[in-house]
Amino acid sequence: MYKMLEIDLSTGQTKVKDISELFSRFIGGTGVLTYLALRELTRELDPLSPQAPIFFGIGPFNNYFPSASKTVAIFKSPLTGDLGESHAGGRLSLAIFAAGFHVIKITGKAEKPVYLSIDNERVNLVPCRSLWGRSALSVERILREKEDNRKGKKSIVRIGPAGERLSPIACVTVDSSRHFGRLGLGAILGSKNLKAVVISGNRYNSISDKKEYQAFYNELFKDLAFSENTYKYRDLGTSANVVPLSKIHSLPTRNFSQGFFENAQRISGEYFAENFLAQQISCSHCPIGCIHIGTLRELFADPHMYKTIKVSYDHELIYSIGSNLSIADAGEVLKLLQFIERQGWDAISIGVALAWATEAFQKGIINLSHTDGLALGFGDSQTYMKVLENISSGKNEFYRDLEKGVYHCAKKYGAEDLAIHFNRNMTGPDAFVGYAVGVRHSHLDCAGYSIDQKFLGRQQDLEKEVKMMYEESLWRMITNSLVTCLFARGTYTPNIVEKGLRLLGYDVDIQQLTKVSRVIHGMKYILKERLGFDFEKLKLPAKLTRIYTGRGMITLEDFKERIRIYTQLVLQDKYLAKELLSQQFQ
Amino acid sequence: MGKKLSVKDRERCIGCYSCMFACSRAWHNIIGIEKSAMRVKNYPGVEGAFSVRVCQACLDPECAQVCPTGALKLSKRGYGVELEKEKCTHCMKCVKACSASALQWDEETKLPLPCLHCGICVMYCPTNVLEMQEVIGNVQNA
Repeated sequence: MYKMLEIDLSTGQTKVKDISELFSRFIGGTGVLTYLALRELTRELDPLSPQAPIFFGIGPFNNYFPSASKTVAIFKSPLTGDLGESHAGGRLSLAIFAAGFHVIKITGKAEKPVYLSIDNERVNLVPCRSLWGRSALSVERILREKEDNRKGKKSIVRIGPAGERLSPIACVTVDSSRHFGRLGLGAILGSKNLKAVVISGNRYNSISDKKEYQAFYNELFKDLAFSENTYKYRDLGTSANVVPLSKIHSLPTRNFSQGFFENAQRISGEYFAENFLAQQISCSHCPIGCIHIGTLRELFADPHMYKTIKVSYDHELIYSIGSNLSIADAGEVLKLLQFIERQGWDAISIGVALAWATEAFQKGIINLSHTDGLALGFGDSQTYMKVLENISSGKNEFYRDLEKGVYHCAKKYGAEDLAIHFNRNMTGPDAFVGYAVGVRHSHLDCAGYSIDQKFLGRQQDLEKEVKMMYEESLWRMITNSLVTCLFARGTYTPNIVEKGLRLLGYDVDIQQLTKVSRVIHGMKYILKERLGFDFEKLKLPAKLTRIYTGRGMITLEDFKERIRIYTQLVLQDKYLAKELLSQQFQ
Repeated sequence: MGKKLSVKDRERCIGCYSCMFACSRAWHNIIGIEKSAMRVKNYPGVEGAFSVRVCQACLDPECAQVCPTGALKLSKRGYGVELEKEKCTHCMKCVKACSASALQWDEETKLPLPCLHCGICVMYCPTNVLEMQEVIGNVQNA
């Protein structure tokens, strides 16, 4: 049986519902959550109001199979007003399963700061005024110790001060620096006076056909732990991309002024690994070990007083705080990242805001009166640290605005031309169309960057490229419903997924899976359009038409044509979804 | 000469818990980590620091010594312990007596979960934290 736990923070009341029927129709994870969100998210709903729901969900593969280690969150984004979807690893999916649930829905607003404690079916709101204002990192330390006598493995989900300040680029941090990153889930927790969620339990399921299950498990485990499919993540991690992407002019540099960073070597995955990598760790039940923890030893007093910081890094963080700010010192990148971790901002979104501010400063649109005397310059990491401190202390209006995101700032101060965002949100370096149309506004929507790489130096075939993006995003509706990690996508092929679902009692074949993927995809666009998304209004940031990218110069016409093709492909999915939604069920 | 489970290189642990899943699956037929006879523990607030608690395969086991009914006793192999379920009174003294905090407890059956030193967890450790080690004299794990 699949169960949803509903919690109203205003009253403290809880309900448990059987949602097995939804799992049989929409698999789990993103499929089920999108259906649930369709019933509640409206254009009028204020995402920071008590009525706004947060859904966390896992899928049927979580706990059963390795690297099905993610949790999906769905909400109305306070940054874009559009559908917000974000995925995080850590121990959360294991803990939700062990508590006996598959979906957790949170609404309401606590009167005073609380953390939500879920231990099996015991749900409590614990007052935590003394944690309000504390960093995302210290909250984890405190709660892990305070709640240490629980059964099972705990997962600790929390916000930093940025979420409390309702910054729409505030993330939610999970366990060892995993995140629900983009689209401002942190602000929603902040608006609910919800500092953290501590969840654990000791529930488990039994295996029905052990022989078949074990054979299938072994096949997956071997591939995930030792094969080429995951080698990149076990080795340098995603930061292996830094130098290759720079070489093909696809590494965002100095607010996307160019794709080549002359110092890419100094912030490369290889450089980090050789000089700063302390160890690699894993999410629960994932043998890959892709989480790269960097350490930096720093002298703080003569003659030999050292401190050591530890912070995780990957490709997106390195370009966002490294090359896109022209910071060529890996240690400085780690220092800035640690500050960002403590405050609880999405590192990519804050990096893009800093890059915009710097270029706007160079152009004279932002000046010393805005910055309270700080001269912003690419490569100046010490000033960036002061900027981050000024944002966190809310020093003046400009700094308070910076944590509202690049769209808000560009609209208010001008320099819109320099703001890199898609539908108010910025996520990744290339494959602009993917960001524009994607349901998560993320490079993880359809791996457009990878399609760009496949077509490097080759004549354009727009239809073919867009179709590839579309098909990849369709398949991700299934893997995101399961909820497997995208780094495991080489292992979780359609045949494997079909086999796994059958083992768990789902009556499916690949043809049906394709249909379900299209229904989920269609539901997402129905929901997005209801919230104001419009393919026709999608814009390519003007600056991106003036830079040389890995695929050459990008034109507005080309962008529009790709969107047109994508829109056509989605039409049929929306039709399928509408047809299904017109039927009566739970 | 028998073999016992031991922690070869704790610092290699990536915290994936594949070992605990394997143990629970192999001996109790469950999906989860709850019935595993060993534990990987996270230190509060220290990213990536894991403590791996495995049965020390004592030749003179503390847990068996305190068992009031003799349900838990030195294994026939001469090291480690075995459980005679019917004799167990669920007093939990054995778990409390294990100074390495390695003996686990089954919340469902209210029985201890003695490690059988079968080595299934070793097979699923992707980074070779664990190993099977020959039992020599009275040498304990570090």
